[in-house]
Amino acid sequence: MLCQSCEKKQATTHIKTILNGELKEYNLCPECAAKFGYGSFFGNFGFDLDKLFGSFMESFGAGGSSKRCKFCGSSFEDIAKTGKVGCSQCYDEFYEELLPSIQRIHGRTSHTGKLARSAGNEIRIKNEITQCRYELEQAIKTQEFEKAAELRDRIKELEKSMKEEAEKTDGKEG
Amino acid sequence: MKEKIEQRKDISDVVISTRIRFARNLKDYPFPCRMNTEKKCRVAAIVKEAALGGHSAISDRFRYIQMSELTQEEAVSLVERHLVSPEFISDREGRGLLLLDDESVSIMINEEDHIRIQVIKPNMDLDGAYDLADKIDTLFDEQLSFAFNDKLGYLTQCPTNIGTGMRASLMLHLPALKESGAMGKISASLAKLGLVIRGMYGEGTDPKGAVYQLSNQVTLGISEKEAINNLRDIAMQLISQERNTREALSENISVLDIIYRSFGILQYAKLLSNDECMKLLSELRFGIEIGIFDHLDYDTVNHLMIEVQPATLMKNIGKKLSAQERDQIRAEVVRTALMRKQVPASRRLE
Repeated sequence: MLCQSCEKKQATTHIKTILNGELKEYNLCPECAAKFGYGSFFGNFGFDLDKLFGSFMESFGAGGSSKRCKFCGSSFEDIAKTGKVGCSQCYDEFYEELLPSIQRIHGRTSHTGKLARSAGNEIRIKNEITQCRYELEQAIKTQEFEKAAELRDRIKELEKSMKEEAEKTDGKEG
Repeated sequence: MKEKIEQRKDISDVVISTRIRFARNLKDYPFPCRMNTEKKCRVAAIVKEAALGGHSAISDRFRYIQMSELTQEEAVSLVERHLVSPEFISDREGRGLLLLDDESVSIMINEEDHIRIQVIKPNMDLDGAYDLADKIDTLFDEQLSFAFNDKLGYLTQCPTNIGTGMRASLMLHLPALKESGAMGKISASLAKLGLVIRGMYGEGTDPKGAVYQLSNQVTLGISEKEAINNLRDIAMQLISQERNTREALSENISVLDIIYRSFGILQYAKLLSNDECMKLLSELRFGIEIGIFDHLDYDTVNHLMIEVQPATLMKNIGKKLSAQERDQIRAEVVRTALMRKQVPASRRLE
């Protein structure tokens, strides 16, 4: 698609805006986008996702693999092209392929924070430990030593149950 | 001038509102990009039932809106009031919206993800907004099976949202930083801190009236609380930068001239286009911020900035209007709002 403004270069920036009560969509080349004031915001990785996936695709020689998600039928090429993952199972199916981009977007690859009802026991405990450690850090910063002591005890307790949980799973597997 | 700008405790001179958004998906359905309208309708029905059905604790305060049944003005007005994203109304088939009676919570169904819970609070209230979003999310979690993975957290259609699926944003008025041309540099350095700043209506929109949205970008490997504290810390730095710049600009005669002129136009204009109006309101707000218009308050301006948007204007009037009719009514709305707040006689000749 050509840039709607200069009609010369390839449009790489898609802009949705509400003008006079109407939703308008524009396709612009990077130069024109910058000219219209959208430039400064595009240096951030949030907007480079397409490119990110694109370059990533090349390095894997996309199209070579014919693997498809059993649940939704997406191939990795579909995901790379659109920047959209097809379903939750794609994350399992294409975990290895997605991981480098995930790492690049977030800088990290493992979740911490709120858990869904379906989350396993081990992650629950691990998560609470991370949370307590964070709160401990804050408590020390604000000199709330009583709270810090409580948190430290809670972390010890959790680490113990974490061990037990790990032994349980090992036992099951063995 | 009374209190020094930078020493004020109340930060409503910079922070307009707070928003928390959670992205959630159902485990047993493909993400919206892989669903046809029929499947989307099924997902919408499931989510609707979870919110409004007999088992729900929040049912009597929410109403369900089928997006395809709205007129174009009603749909656009939802965007203007920040209740839905521009993307949400670009194709309304199979999409639904759950709206809390006071409009502080909106739940988009089948936007980029199956469920997007959004809480908006006036001023800075990150903890309050988070608590409410968290409660609603937990209620859904009790009835639905969310797509969740122990390693990657909540799974979303776009990998930029996986993990907590949470986006916390503050709507900021940054006229001085915009004027000083510092926004480009600021947005570049924010990116390094895992934050992003963009225009008033989110992704890809223009910062109308110097209103910006500051949000966390990273959602994986950082807990909700950490992300919120991080955002708050950085926002406070940005606020003090903005205030320092305001302090410097507040003595500048050409800046003052612009502010007073804007006030004049807003009071007497017979026609105001949306862009001009937003620009003038932003300058008026700037005036209040540096202590010029004591008789006016931020709420009036915040309110007007939404009220004057074209579709909201038409929705409130109750009919379709031509561009010129809109400009005329917009000028009237602004004039009436400002007239209600009369300038005290002692300040009139300043």
